[in-house]
Amino acid sequence: MPGLPTRTTSPTRTTAERAMRPDKPRRYGPIGLALMAAAAGLWAAWTSGIDLATVLRGPETLLRILRMMLLPPDVSAAPAAFAGMIESLQIAWIGTLLGAAVSLPIGLLAAKNVGGRFSTTVARQVLNLLRSLPELVLAILFVSIIGLGPLAGALAIGLGSIGTLGKLTAEVVEGIDRGPIEAAEAVGASRVQVLRWGVLPQAMPEIIAFWLYRFEINVRASAILGLVGAGGIGGMLANYLSYRRYGSAGMAILIVIAVTIAIDAVSSRIRRRIIAGPQGSRTGPDPVPAADAL
Amino acid sequence: MTSDVAPRTARTRPQRPARSWKAPVGVLLFLAITWWAGSDRFGVGFSLPDLLANLERGQRIVSELADPRWQAWRSLIDPFIETLRIAILAALLGCSAALVAALGASRVSAPGLRSYLASKGVLNVVRAIPDLLYAMVFVAVFSIGPLAGIVALILFNIGVVGKLTSETVDGIDPGPVEAAQAAGAGHAQVVRTAIVPAVLPNYIAYSLYAFELNLRASLVVGFVGAGGIGQLLQVALSAFRYDVVALVVLFIFAVVFVVESFSIALRRRLV
Amino acid sequence: MIRFRDTTVVYPGDVRALDQVSLAISPGELVVVVGLSGAGKSTLIRTINGLVRPTSGRVEVDGREVGTATKRELRAIRADIGMIFQNFNLVKRTSVLNNVLMGRLHQVPGWRTVLGLYPADDVEAAMRSLERVEIVEKAYVRASNLSGGQQQRVGIARALAQEPKVILADEPVASLDPPTSHVVMRDLQRINRDLGITTIVNLHFLDLARAYGDRIIGLRDGRVVFDGPGSAADEQVFEDIYGRSLTADDVLEAKAEL
Repeated sequence: MPGLPTRTTSPTRTTAERAMRPDKPRRYGPIGLALMAAAAGLWAAWTSGIDLATVLRGPETLLRILRMMLLPPDVSAAPAAFAGMIESLQIAWIGTLLGAAVSLPIGLLAAKNVGGRFSTTVARQVLNLLRSLPELVLAILFVSIIGLGPLAGALAIGLGSIGTLGKLTAEVVEGIDRGPIEAAEAVGASRVQVLRWGVLPQAMPEIIAFWLYRFEINVRASAILGLVGAGGIGGMLANYLSYRRYGSAGMAILIVIAVTIAIDAVSSRIRRRIIAGPQGSRTGPDPVPAADAL
Repeated sequence: MTSDVAPRTARTRPQRPARSWKAPVGVLLFLAITWWAGSDRFGVGFSLPDLLANLERGQRIVSELADPRWQAWRSLIDPFIETLRIAILAALLGCSAALVAALGASRVSAPGLRSYLASKGVLNVVRAIPDLLYAMVFVAVFSIGPLAGIVALILFNIGVVGKLTSETVDGIDPGPVEAAQAAGAGHAQVVRTAIVPAVLPNYIAYSLYAFELNLRASLVVGFVGAGGIGQLLQVALSAFRYDVVALVVLFIFAVVFVVESFSIALRRRLV
Repeated sequence: MIRFRDTTVVYPGDVRALDQVSLAISPGELVVVVGLSGAGKSTLIRTINGLVRPTSGRVEVDGREVGTATKRELRAIRADIGMIFQNFNLVKRTSVLNNVLMGRLHQVPGWRTVLGLYPADDVEAAMRSLERVEIVEKAYVRASNLSGGQQQRVGIARALAQEPKVILADEPVASLDPPTSHVVMRDLQRINRDLGITTIVNLHFLDLARAYGDRIIGLRDGRVVFDGPGSAADEQVFEDIYGRSLTADDVLEAKAEL
């Protein structure tokens, strides 16, 4: 067993020039962040006026309600709930398509390597504004403008998707390889031709993957919009819950969960294939990036 | 003349590869679904002329929205402080639980196949339920008030942060993991020394993002009675006071904007 | 003492990475393993610390059988074997010191590593191994801020921090430029001489192999085709190992001139 390595055996440097051990640097950043989080948490818990007894009673009540919901779920509510969920899927589909169609040109304009300086700034601001509107608020507005029904939901989902989709489109386009654009310009292509043959072939797989990902998110969103009368399963659910028809609500929730998970599975498989190609691996991380995608 | 370019030793040109049947079928399927979902009879009833006609009706609402009722700002303060409490507590508790769930739900860091499948399944189910549905259920459990909002957003945060973090863990460089194993580290040690440091900056960024999402979601969950500024929104809407609605929405924009700028600056230093 | 007895490794898809290899490596030797990529060099090294298990045959380290060791036994065996990687395998987002402390994991109780509270003795050992590779001044720098050569020296320090009996180096200079390659090889040679740690290095370049290998083992298609002192390995021997005539790519210095 060799001994511990010791500094005296190092032959290549003299004592004078041997490096000194550095002092341990003090890093206040992470500690500060943790303290801030803890202080905020304590303040919030202290002033919330929530009493512990209510919290502790929670699990019991939750279990009771869950039992009423699931043991057994009200199977007679299944056909209506399923029809509602189908309507939610339709809302999500049309909404995503509308969002995708509008976001593509805006996103291209917002990309620095495609749009001009002025159009980039304007397009980005438009996208930022759209991104901060919650779908529910949009749905309320559309319901009051065009009346109750799934179309209001689809429009709300569409408008709500433009912001994130446009932003991600711009990011993807900005990240592409400049070479093919140069090559297209070198053969004398017009701006539109450069877009079509230099930019889109590189960016499209990612952009379509984002559309699909957004569709997954929109399925969740469309399942709740019914609450404000914008169609889909949400209105039914809200009614069941407020009239304490827990068995029917349980059935509807089960259908929401099952359909959402099924859609996620299919969609993430397609996304993976789009990004990696047919030969691409089936394992590995989901090719969905940026937290902002949500 | 094109023949000038052709090589001397003429080889047979390859046949154009037979097109796969999959692409046209996919396009047809896509069009069929779109027609079905958009049609008046089976779907949402999408028609552009009707839409334009309807939009005119909305002018009154839009004009009211364009003129927010600024003098009502005092009524925002108390609900906003409640929203802040909800968002902070939910983010702290939800994101802590999400880290554990995420480490269990990645094949790289899970201690075994069983806990991997369990964590992954739990995360999938938690994520499949929309935030508003959580809010409705917990309003039924805890009755109206901020507690329902907190618990709803905790679950929402577990879903979002858990998924993003577990995908980050899936994508880390396997080299350091192998190095730790080669040094004789046990599973917990591998996770702590080779995996957590690699994903920590992302995890913190996701948690900040979850806090932002909570502020935004406060409009939504408050709507069903789960406390905070959303309850104010609901009251204004049911009274058709679109000028107050505009004020509330603009206020939340401003808050989200401030928090977002702060967290972008922080994220840049972290990652 | 490391002993291979008829060791065979077959990967899925019927790829025979090692084919009936029998070898003995004595304590304190500096062995260089050469061969084309795919000849089984990495597999040979990884069977020694059990990152790859043999399909048949035995691998013994100091009388302990690696191939059939339980998880717990394997961790104990690995604790005595340091490993150095082609791509350094550092956790880039944490400090150099934390990376080197990874070498102490087997000694430190689990709860301490989870909290990041390493005992002072272990920090001392980590510091001393950083001093040995002359990079201690970077102890609190993020690993991502170091050059390739510096990162590889941190990798060596991490192996040294284990106070190992054996060091395995898998293509340690393949990602480095020629001058840095010599610095790293000299570090390894010095550690082998000064501390008497058995050192096994995978290399591709024959001039590096001849300059630093006391003993050279040539692998071709998973079989040992040469085993002898570095001085006996002339160009003819390398042509036999590579199964083709030598090219400029096989020599580090020639590559440097390109």
